[in-house]
Amino acid sequence: MRDYSLWIRMAKFGVLALVLALLVWCLLPQGQAAGKIGPQAKSSSAKYNIRVAIGQTYMPGTVPLGIGKELHGMADVVGAFEQRFPDTHIELITVPFDREYLVTQLSSGSAPDVVNVNVEDVWTDVQKGWYLALDPWLEQPNPFIREKNDPALPGFEKWWDMFKYQAISRGKAAPDQLMYCLSYDMVETGIFYNKDIFRKAGVEVPNTWEEMLAVMAKLEAFGVTPMTMYVDSFNDWGTDLIFDQLYYSLLPGIDLLQDPLREPYLQGYLDWDEICFLFQKGYFTKSDARYRDVFRIMKEWRRYCSADIVDSRLMLTDFVRQKAAMHWNISQLVYRLGADKDLGFEWGVFYLPTIGKATSKYASGNTMCVIGGSANQLEVTNTAFSDSRDPASSERLKRVMAFLQFICVPEQYEKVVNEYPCFISNIVGVESLPPMKPFVEILERPYTTTKWVFTFDLRFCDIQRRLLELYLNDAMDLDEFMRWQEDNIRTATDNLILRKPMDMAKMQVRWDELAPARATMEDLPSGS
Amino acid sequence: MAPEAKTRLSHRTRFVLGIYALLALPLAFLTVFVYLPFFWGFISSLYEFEIGASARFVGLANYREFLFKDPVTWPSFLNMAFLAGWGVMVRLTVPLLVAKLIHSLSNERSRHMYRILFLVPIVVPGVAIQLIWGIMIFSDGGLVNEFLRVIGLGGFAPNWLTDPHSALIAIACIGFPWVGGFEVLIYYAGLSAIPDSVNEAARLEGCTGIRKFFYIDVPMILGQLRLILILSIIGGVQTFENVLILTRGGPGFATTVPGLWMYYNAFSFQRMGYACGIGVTLFALILSLTALNLRYFKGAESLEG
Repeated sequence: MRDYSLWIRMAKFGVLALVLALLVWCLLPQGQAAGKIGPQAKSSSAKYNIRVAIGQTYMPGTVPLGIGKELHGMADVVGAFEQRFPDTHIELITVPFDREYLVTQLSSGSAPDVVNVNVEDVWTDVQKGWYLALDPWLEQPNPFIREKNDPALPGFEKWWDMFKYQAISRGKAAPDQLMYCLSYDMVETGIFYNKDIFRKAGVEVPNTWEEMLAVMAKLEAFGVTPMTMYVDSFNDWGTDLIFDQLYYSLLPGIDLLQDPLREPYLQGYLDWDEICFLFQKGYFTKSDARYRDVFRIMKEWRRYCSADIVDSRLMLTDFVRQKAAMHWNISQLVYRLGADKDLGFEWGVFYLPTIGKATSKYASGNTMCVIGGSANQLEVTNTAFSDSRDPASSERLKRVMAFLQFICVPEQYEKVVNEYPCFISNIVGVESLPPMKPFVEILERPYTTTKWVFTFDLRFCDIQRRLLELYLNDAMDLDEFMRWQEDNIRTATDNLILRKPMDMAKMQVRWDELAPARATMEDLPSGS
Repeated sequence: MAPEAKTRLSHRTRFVLGIYALLALPLAFLTVFVYLPFFWGFISSLYEFEIGASARFVGLANYREFLFKDPVTWPSFLNMAFLAGWGVMVRLTVPLLVAKLIHSLSNERSRHMYRILFLVPIVVPGVAIQLIWGIMIFSDGGLVNEFLRVIGLGGFAPNWLTDPHSALIAIACIGFPWVGGFEVLIYYAGLSAIPDSVNEAARLEGCTGIRKFFYIDVPMILGQLRLILILSIIGGVQTFENVLILTRGGPGFATTVPGLWMYYNAFSFQRMGYACGIGVTLFALILSLTALNLRYFKGAESLEG
């Protein structure tokens, strides 16, 4: 008989060797294992490895919305920066932008150096030292502009001057008056509509809210879904827009605090403190007729939307397949529609019209405000000065700030923001791409009176969204919704008053001063 | 004699001390990773604090708010009770029937093959199962609605996970036909452990078929049933991953369970003290239910004895 033991032993050792080799390969840094050159190879030699979560919009190597070519603009800019700073490696990373991720990473000091989140999400955390106020840098020259030796260039004196939408960008200051974000670009929403369906149904772009309801009724009779929009859009955008329409005329009587920094853009903006105070006076309760009307109007609007307002994929699909005549979305959709060769219909963009007295006797009649503004908002985290724990002496932070200043230089900025039509340029000297023109015009409108979602209380936002979903889907009536909502605001304001020192006495003084103005207003809550 | 006895005692002492020494390490880990976090959680539940911010002592305010003020509490407990109750019911019945059927097969190879077939689903990750159900079965174009359309009942096809009337039932149905692996194996082991003498005596007494199942098999596997019951209750009270993945507790609060509300309060709303209060309440609930369960089944066993 032949002895196979040697072969068996060899096979065993062969498997063992294979496993070991695999283990070694796994443990090797990726760049070395793959023999890469360039950024990955540099990461091992660079003194500063800066991690930047730039966000999905400009992430190199990705194909926006799965259409067209891979993006490379930001990679080109990073390459140019690394040539200028050989000791620094910029690592563009993708991270989940869930709050859970941010909280755990920031509290452990392991967040990326730069993150991209709505700055309002940051406001609740700024007192914890997780984010860096950018004001000292924004008030100084941008060194990359300074080196051009042209004092006429924006940024030569102050980095701030480079930003085109000054009021919007400065309006992003936190309630502590400090600026924690760089408003890299701008976004706006619009109603995308199918011109072919409009023509066939014999309707035109509406100029008033009432006309819009009539158009939607005709479209429904024509056999298409008049509009598709997501429940989150109702919750975030819809609430703010309708609220502004009904409360704008009350501002002379209820706007208690003026914010010197943000006032030029957020004219009459009701801050958290004011909401808390006004709630104690009976506003935003079930007995506040205006507040109740906000959600009545919303429900009337929802009647013309698709049956499913939860599955966001269906919204766009229905519009693209011409099952729906209108779709409310952000400017990024321009790229999706423009690049679709098989779209088969002509489309346009308009904005929501003003609500008239026929819809609500509380309608202020003011122009429908906007709820867009800053799109990609870049924040510097505590990781950026982790080398010295002191922003004043941190060498790492200098590289991080240099990178942010570098990506704002027009010739670099253009490579990124105008790589495809998506968002609006916020840098002086860089024009937005032509398809962005309707959104640039919409962006000129005034901002909303207050932003309920994301700024007020995180628990409040979550509950309001859930309640709206039920209410708009007929799972609860307006009375029940208002009861829940009042409880929801009460819990939120109680928590805010506990957490944040508020000068109620100062607001009471102002409240008393504004009493004559309120005396001329109708149907105010009884506390007024 | 005395020195020898002393040596023997010394050996025994050393042996016992050695065991304690060996137990000390896992016990230390258990203390650090289980007991301390629990006590930390309990202490934290008496404070109002956010991660990264200073804490403020609030006494039992978090418990008062959760039990008496938070409008989400009772709907979430009702949802949990429904899901846990349903989970207990199906895990105590369907896998037991399958185990009995496999055990009744006369051919050992067949029994072996069927055991493997019913064990295979264990290897599929839970998240994958949730996603399969969410995307392929319960979505508008999924298996259930397409089937309803095929048989002409398209008008009755809801969006299972976003309709408040169907979402909780849809969540409960996940895992259908609830025969995947673990429980079947436990029950099968219990049935296999019934002594041949008992089976033979039952046969001689004419106790066969369904009568034997209820009068002999079920009482003989009460230990296994108790284990599955306790695990099902604990799982039912603790679990929230499936809800988080599929509905995030919605629509509205139709599928919110206390565990999920605890998670949101901790990491989304940053109310860590409040979340700890929910956690401690759930712990107390599980402990109470388990104690009741043990007591009840103890009685059953003593009756059996």
